[in-house]
Amino acid sequence: MQKASRLMLAVSFVSIFLLSACNPKEDTINIGAATYTETKIMAAVYKELIEDRTDIQVDITPDLLSTSLILKALDRGDLDMSLMYSGMIYNNFFPVKTTTDREEVLSQAKKGFNKYYDMKWFDPLGFENTYALTVREDLAKQRGLEKISDLKKSEENMKFGVDSSWMERPTDGYPAFKKAYGVTFKRTYPMDVNLVYEAAASKKMDVVLAYSTDPRLLQYNLKTLKDDRKFFPPYDASILARNDTLKKHPELTEILNTLTGKIDEKTMTSLNYQVDIEHRSERDVAREYLVQQGLLDDKEES
Amino acid sequence: MNMITEYITFLKERYPDILARTGEHLIIVGSAVILGCIVAISTAIILTRFKDGFASSLSFGLANIFQTIPSIALLAMLIPLLGVGRNPAILALFLYSLLPLLRNTYSGIKEVDSNIIEAARGMGYSSFQRLWKIELPLARPYILSGIRLTTVYIISWTTLAAIVGAGGLGDLIIAGMANNNNFLIFTGTVSAIILALAADLILGFISKDRTIKE
Repeated sequence: MQKASRLMLAVSFVSIFLLSACNPKEDTINIGAATYTETKIMAAVYKELIEDRTDIQVDITPDLLSTSLILKALDRGDLDMSLMYSGMIYNNFFPVKTTTDREEVLSQAKKGFNKYYDMKWFDPLGFENTYALTVREDLAKQRGLEKISDLKKSEENMKFGVDSSWMERPTDGYPAFKKAYGVTFKRTYPMDVNLVYEAAASKKMDVVLAYSTDPRLLQYNLKTLKDDRKFFPPYDASILARNDTLKKHPELTEILNTLTGKIDEKTMTSLNYQVDIEHRSERDVAREYLVQQGLLDDKEES
Repeated sequence: MNMITEYITFLKERYPDILARTGEHLIIVGSAVILGCIVAISTAIILTRFKDGFASSLSFGLANIFQTIPSIALLAMLIPLLGVGRNPAILALFLYSLLPLLRNTYSGIKEVDSNIIEAARGMGYSSFQRLWKIELPLARPYILSGIRLTTVYIISWTTLAAIVGAGGLGDLIIAGMANNNNFLIFTGTVSAIILALAADLILGFISKDRTIKE
């Protein structure tokens, strides 16, 4: 008894000491991630990179419901950085010009976030995760659907499953979509974006709006219709980070630039595939990728 | 001031949507609560007929378990069974409505003075007559307050149904959160509150009205 309680006391002292040793204010940064896998994998990738090359401890806050929630948390300083997509500037954050030109969207993102939020929009990583209007392969064949404007003939009896956030998007949401393509579906079903893939596969929905790098498009054999009127703006993935975090840890900028232009859509989809379909952990997938790229030593830290 | 005029313009522009979402919301709440009433009240009546407590503790236990499943988890579990849309939402909310309805009906009937029942039996009332003419009328305030309580909280929980494609006022809140649109969040929230208050008021009025007359 005596021994056990003394041991307990020792353990609690040690843990208090350890807890106070890693002072969260000084050397911790927090990466935000959204509800879908890709942002979590990228958060894990940067966590591994940063912890490998600096003494900074990295926390990840996953499953944040939307980019505007992430941005608010970044703005408050609860988060230090997160993966973002250039097309998200059309989300009412600051005044923007409507365009689908890749370079122009990117430069608006860089300038806008610097000016209005004091944050740095890094150069794109190399992949795009845009909206993809998709249908089941058999339905596409049966109705001869290749591009979005082909829907014009048969949309009136089609059920349309969409990401809840898309419905209200001011410049590239449903109202604008109806105008651009002249297509109005029989009914729309806004839902969590992670549910649309199975909803399409199980014929609950006829058309769904998916994310283009999601591996479930491959898993369920869904066909993406071509955006023939160039309606959707580009959604190039970049890191967005607070300027004061970068100032406090100047070494971060270089680390955050290591992957610039290195990850294409195929790579990202396959990383997503390993997590979503093969059920591996984001951390393992992230580490393996970095080791393959020669950016990280193979040995597991103790 | 500027914000108020902006909000009024927003309402003018969007009221068909807001009404449609409110309608969906009411359909989900109504179906869940009505189904819940049918199942829970009749189960409770049957349970009061059993002498030993095994059947009732089993049913209460079951209803209690449904109540403790986190709502997101319940929705997630129902998707493989029922897919997306209105059905999984209604089923989930129906399961949540069971416990308070069951408990109130059961204890309402149990609370009826056994002397009254005895007197009715003496007057030659059949079991069904006792139930219909004595037990249910006397238990009515309990049952109605159960329905009132259940309806109010199901109205607020229905906002969650939006994540599985069931529609309702939750759509406005989630879309507002995603697009940095506070008008949408505000409208969705306030409409849900108004619905809940109205339901509370109406059901409260119904239960009072009848008890005074009797």
